[in-house]
Amino acid sequence: MLYGFAGKLLRVNLNSGELKVEKLDEKELRKYMGCTGYAAKLLYQEMPGGIDPLAPEAKVVLATGAVSGTLCPSGGSYEVCYKAPLTGTWNEARSGGAFGAKLKYAGFDFVVIEGKAADPVYLLIKDGQVEIKPAKHLWGLNVEETTDTLINELDDPEISVATIGQSGENGVLYAALINDRGRAAGRGGIGAVFGNKNLKAVVVNGSGGIKVARPKEFAEAIEKAEQWLKSYIFDAIPALGTVGLVSLNNSLGILPAKNFQEAHFEKADKVSGELINQKYQIKRRACYGCSFACGRYTSVNNGKYSTPPMEGPEYETVDMLGPICGIDDVEAIIKGNYLCNVYGLDTISTGMSIGFAMECYEKGLLTDKDTDGMPLRWGDADVMLKLVEKIAYKEGIGALLAQGVKRMAEQLGPAAEEAAIHVKGLELPAHEPRSESKSLAIQYAVSPRGACHMHPNWASTWDFQIDCGMKEFGLPSWPEGPQEESSKRGVSYRYVALQGEVSEILGACIFHSWGVEGNSITPQLYAEIVKSLTGWDVTAEELVAAAERSWNLKRCFNAREGFTRKDDKLPKRFAQAIPNGPSAGAKVENLDLMLDVYYEAMGWDKQTGLPTPEKLKELDLEFAIQ
Amino acid sequence: MSKVLTVDPSLCTGCHRCEMWCSLTKYGEINPSRSNVYVIRREPAVDVPVVCVQCGLCMDVCPTGALNRNGSTDAVEVDVDLCSGCGTCVKVCPYGVLRIDEVADVAAKCDLCGGSPACAGHCPHDAIKYEDAGKAAARRRELWAMAHAIKIG
Repeated sequence: MLYGFAGKLLRVNLNSGELKVEKLDEKELRKYMGCTGYAAKLLYQEMPGGIDPLAPEAKVVLATGAVSGTLCPSGGSYEVCYKAPLTGTWNEARSGGAFGAKLKYAGFDFVVIEGKAADPVYLLIKDGQVEIKPAKHLWGLNVEETTDTLINELDDPEISVATIGQSGENGVLYAALINDRGRAAGRGGIGAVFGNKNLKAVVVNGSGGIKVARPKEFAEAIEKAEQWLKSYIFDAIPALGTVGLVSLNNSLGILPAKNFQEAHFEKADKVSGELINQKYQIKRRACYGCSFACGRYTSVNNGKYSTPPMEGPEYETVDMLGPICGIDDVEAIIKGNYLCNVYGLDTISTGMSIGFAMECYEKGLLTDKDTDGMPLRWGDADVMLKLVEKIAYKEGIGALLAQGVKRMAEQLGPAAEEAAIHVKGLELPAHEPRSESKSLAIQYAVSPRGACHMHPNWASTWDFQIDCGMKEFGLPSWPEGPQEESSKRGVSYRYVALQGEVSEILGACIFHSWGVEGNSITPQLYAEIVKSLTGWDVTAEELVAAAERSWNLKRCFNAREGFTRKDDKLPKRFAQAIPNGPSAGAKVENLDLMLDVYYEAMGWDKQTGLPTPEKLKELDLEFAIQ
Repeated sequence: MSKVLTVDPSLCTGCHRCEMWCSLTKYGEINPSRSNVYVIRREPAVDVPVVCVQCGLCMDVCPTGALNRNGSTDAVEVDVDLCSGCGTCVKVCPYGVLRIDEVADVAAKCDLCGGSPACAGHCPHDAIKYEDAGKAAARRRELWAMAHAIKIG
């Protein structure tokens, strides 16, 4: 018997309506550990390279891991794995809330979605029972309306609904899949994939629970995690929510503003986490099983930006719909967040597309005749809100913005390319690679889904001198001089990435792993938790080895799509110095050297940036040798 | 005087850890649907833990004498050997905190874990506390009064 997992995979073919339940092979599961690791194996083996992510042949995996839905305090996540229409790369979009836990309680660790339905449908998964149900009546509804309709129709307030809004139906290339009303599998355009498949939503609920191999040992390991997390060093995250980062990052000169032209925002105090907590917060809210509860519910009670209670805003959204667009009106940001949530848009790509359009307008690359007569001036909150709506419906200028920064720049010409802030088509999040950390520059260059600060990890941990339990695996000590710095960062990023990848393959939120023994969940503590939960004789070494396997396989997935070292680059802007704020003068230097050293540390070919056949053999990934 | 479970919904984040700890403690598995403490999460922004107040109404209606008060904790406990699973207690409970356990097929309810309730012991935000009955009564009076107070301004 398989402990810690539901033990089953659900395969849904939307072409034929066929539903298949497959028992997971324990040995194969353990090899990849689960979640995005196992999903990488599935998608690599089942989906040939070169498939259009919006074609019926494209597959999607909804993935949970060993710790999902358990008492492990980081277990409130699930991940959506797919080839992203925005980038053409591997994508894994993590989301919190209750969906992952309830999917497991319903009896499935994974759902593989294939094909395309002839008419709009939704998928209902309840205690092992699965139905493909008509969703014509839901098509055109927003996320909130869809969720409410399904709860009423199914007469069950305990269901978890993951759904797309209008932007997914309309094929916005960064449309999100939103579960539990306000939790987003945001990045890369999974919403557009669902929309193209005529799949409106997935509904889950279950009472199956999760069997624990050694309950007493498991309880002890969890108690240890609870104790350790009481000393968590990033206490602003639980205390203020991620919005606590606004003031902190601004004070350090790492708060991106005006489409990354600047790294400091004069009026940051008008959009600060402290202000949001004091004036707009209704309550703190946790993902399933999370002791931190960094989520926030807010509302704006009156005025022109009045907004009903909603989940958010998070730090990313505040910066993206705020400073990135030169906007200092926090009520408009909350309203903009609400609109993104209900239309089902990724707030990061939305804000970056708007900020980019504003810069293009400033430079005369977009004029009033392109913008439906709307001047796109920095700081105009009403324009930002109007653009969010236009994007969701691909109306007028919204049709251009709905394609994301990379495609916008291709259409606006070489001058626009200079201001296009993305890697592999994924717009940068609100972390400044010139001043936050040099490791972040490496991660933006090599992360499998493009410029990402979260997958597989928050790359800056090592630069903040936090070892995350990786010292014993070879993580170097902190650098002395600039040259050594660049080469050491190339080595250290290997360990930072693998430590993050441990969370990815366990289905864990990465927040809980930032720290050291005694104040976070280290790979060693994860091993104790997974061992007692599953009954497998797992060690931290095995977790890190599986993480390396997974990280390499995702690299191979992208290699098959044609991505190599030549694509591991940053926008040109980051070779120029930051003009303002406490980090003025900082720029990205020596990226090539850092990449050389990183590829070597990974056992990858320095010319191509790809895993060598020997490395893949060593990782038992022969099938991925190309 | 023995201790009682008290709840402050304003502190609850809806994490459901209490339910998971309850099922782990009672059945060695993680399963909120087998928990004897209940967290109600509704929209918008409602998270309320519901616990048994050990009032004993169930005890009075039990036809087989399977529900009895524990002399040291004052908890009303199910004697699984006597319980027939008839569900009369489920019908009478005004708080909805009794259930028939689908696996064991007998009534299940909070027994305060013999005086060390796992839910309160592990609540990350002290939304559920196990505290001295006198202190709890004082707090209950306060909450009751404030809920009915006329708000000025």
